Amino acid sequence: MTGKQLLWVGGLILAGMCLLPLGLDIYPQHVLIVSLFYVMMASSWNLLAGYTGQVSFGHAAMAGIGAYASGILAVKAGLNPWIGVGIGTVLAALLGLGLGALCLKMGGIYLSLTTLAFSQILHIIIVNQYDLTRGTMGLQVPGLVAEYSKLAYYYILLAAAVLVLFVLYRMLHSNLGLNFRAVQNDELAAKSIGVKVLQVRVLAFTVASAMAGFAGGLYGHYLLLITPEIPSLDLQFYVLAMTVIGGMGSFTGPIIGAFALNILAEKIRDYGEYHVLVFGLIALSAARFAPNGLLGVWRKLRRSTAHRTVN
Amino acid sequence: MFAISVMNGLVIGVIYALAALGVSLVVGIMNVVNFAHGELYILAGYFSYLFASALGLNFLVAMLLALALVFLLGIVIEYTLIRPTYGNDMYSLILTFILSIVLQNAYLLIFGPYPNKPPLWVKGATDVFGLFSYGNQRLAALIAGAGVIAVTFFLIKKTWFGRIIRATSQDREMAELNGVDTTRLNMLSFGLGCALAAAAGVILTPVFPVTPTAGVPVALTAFVVVVLGGMGSMWGCVVGGLLLGLVENLGAAFISTGYKNVFGFIILILVLLVRPSGLFGRTKI
Repeated sequence: MTGKQLLWVGGLILAGMCLLPLGLDIYPQHVLIVSLFYVMMASSWNLLAGYTGQVSFGHAAMAGIGAYASGILAVKAGLNPWIGVGIGTVLAALLGLGLGALCLKMGGIYLSLTTLAFSQILHIIIVNQYDLTRGTMGLQVPGLVAEYSKLAYYYILLAAAVLVLFVLYRMLHSNLGLNFRAVQNDELAAKSIGVKVLQVRVLAFTVASAMAGFAGGLYGHYLLLITPEIPSLDLQFYVLAMTVIGGMGSFTGPIIGAFALNILAEKIRDYGEYHVLVFGLIALSAARFAPNGLLGVWRKLRRSTAHRTVN
Repeated sequence: MFAISVMNGLVIGVIYALAALGVSLVVGIMNVVNFAHGELYILAGYFSYLFASALGLNFLVAMLLALALVFLLGIVIEYTLIRPTYGNDMYSLILTFILSIVLQNAYLLIFGPYPNKPPLWVKGATDVFGLFSYGNQRLAALIAGAGVIAVTFFLIKKTWFGRIIRATSQDREMAELNGVDTTRLNMLSFGLGCALAAAAGVILTPVFPVTPTAGVPVALTAFVVVVLGGMGSMWGCVVGGLLLGLVENLGAAFISTGYKNVFGFIILILVLLVRPSGLFGRTKI
């Protein structure tokens, strides 16, 4: 697709997304809002796993940092939630910078181990610091808008998701994006032509963490109740499964994955709490048999039918 | 208080060392971290609970059966999931993480969220040096854990099979040139790693009952131990495991019980800051 076509398609989808919730009930609107949160999470996680080849298990924890930082500031200090979300984003970025600088020089496995430990520790701290976080009871926080309406939140999260995707798109289609790819494909070769591998990795991790913090902050103020469910391994798993099933390393894959899985989760929930197990099995077979996800399968099918018509 | 914390620390430390040995073995040979390590540990606990409590088998038979089944499962996991990812470490991380979530949710569905406990091997308590009386089961766990570690050391350091393992983890291509079938070795050592997790599981579950997610903190501690001891170092696992067990229990006794698992994380950060290759690690990276 050329740039102009892309702009048209993007514009049309965006217009559709703007009109989409108008005819819907409150519940489907809620599902869409949550999907938008997952779009931000999965796309930013994809920046790590799909484009720079580092697997972080602390992405949900970063969302938790954003949510709790903003929530606690709003409750304890009466800070405006919008400023709180900004502070949460910066905090998540700083933590990402610290963790990234600490373990990325040792290679990918260390990042995975450290982020997994980090997310568990954060969970323990949140549960134990009852005075500050209300533990598993959850912290009640004020909303982003004076008058609560699903529609307002939908547009806020849509705007946020578009912002995140725009930043990601510009990053990936710049010189920096080439550096990301180079680092993922062959670290040694990238190093030999002067790519600063460590800096590139840490930068990607910092940016992705900031985006998770931003998404988490907004999500917390939408739910109005922040619980340790946000920085949990389950949520981390959702984000991972959405990216893997949608298509890791492609721009649209995680977006499709986020919507598909979140809507599917609602359908499965009618039959009981099986959705995590079902996603797990789907994700397992996707990672094993179709490493490029749904998008990869679709491209392959299209290629083979195109091939057949030529013949 | 101090003496009993040290004792508790030793018991859990031996189990950490055992779990870490399993992780370390697989990392050393395949450069794969098995994130489902904790779930296999729990699975062995569930198996020994099923065989001993539900089927009424002798506890020793139940344990050996559990061990063998988890070993076989490990081989199946290696064959179906890990083998296709050779050369792409990232996918093995993702696959084993997904596997751990799948197993946790499967346990929840099958066994429910309640704690289950295999029967005790021995009853009563013993007076330890006149300081305190200590549960016999925990003492037995300490001895059994140390025994399995000794057997593992013997296997790796003294036998022909161990020599192949050490050769492959030092230089894979050279080992292949000398006729080692590294693909089969990978499968075997992955199974062995899982069996070590299972050994830790069957030994510890009579003391600490199993729940679907009880494996997460144990696996996490095992990972910290592996980083602390140095990736691939066996002595590092033993020293690191005992150290972490002691730090956790003394910290829980004298600082705060709620933050028991946080001390391990602080150690991890310190190691990464001061000596990233770990206590016994090769400083080549």
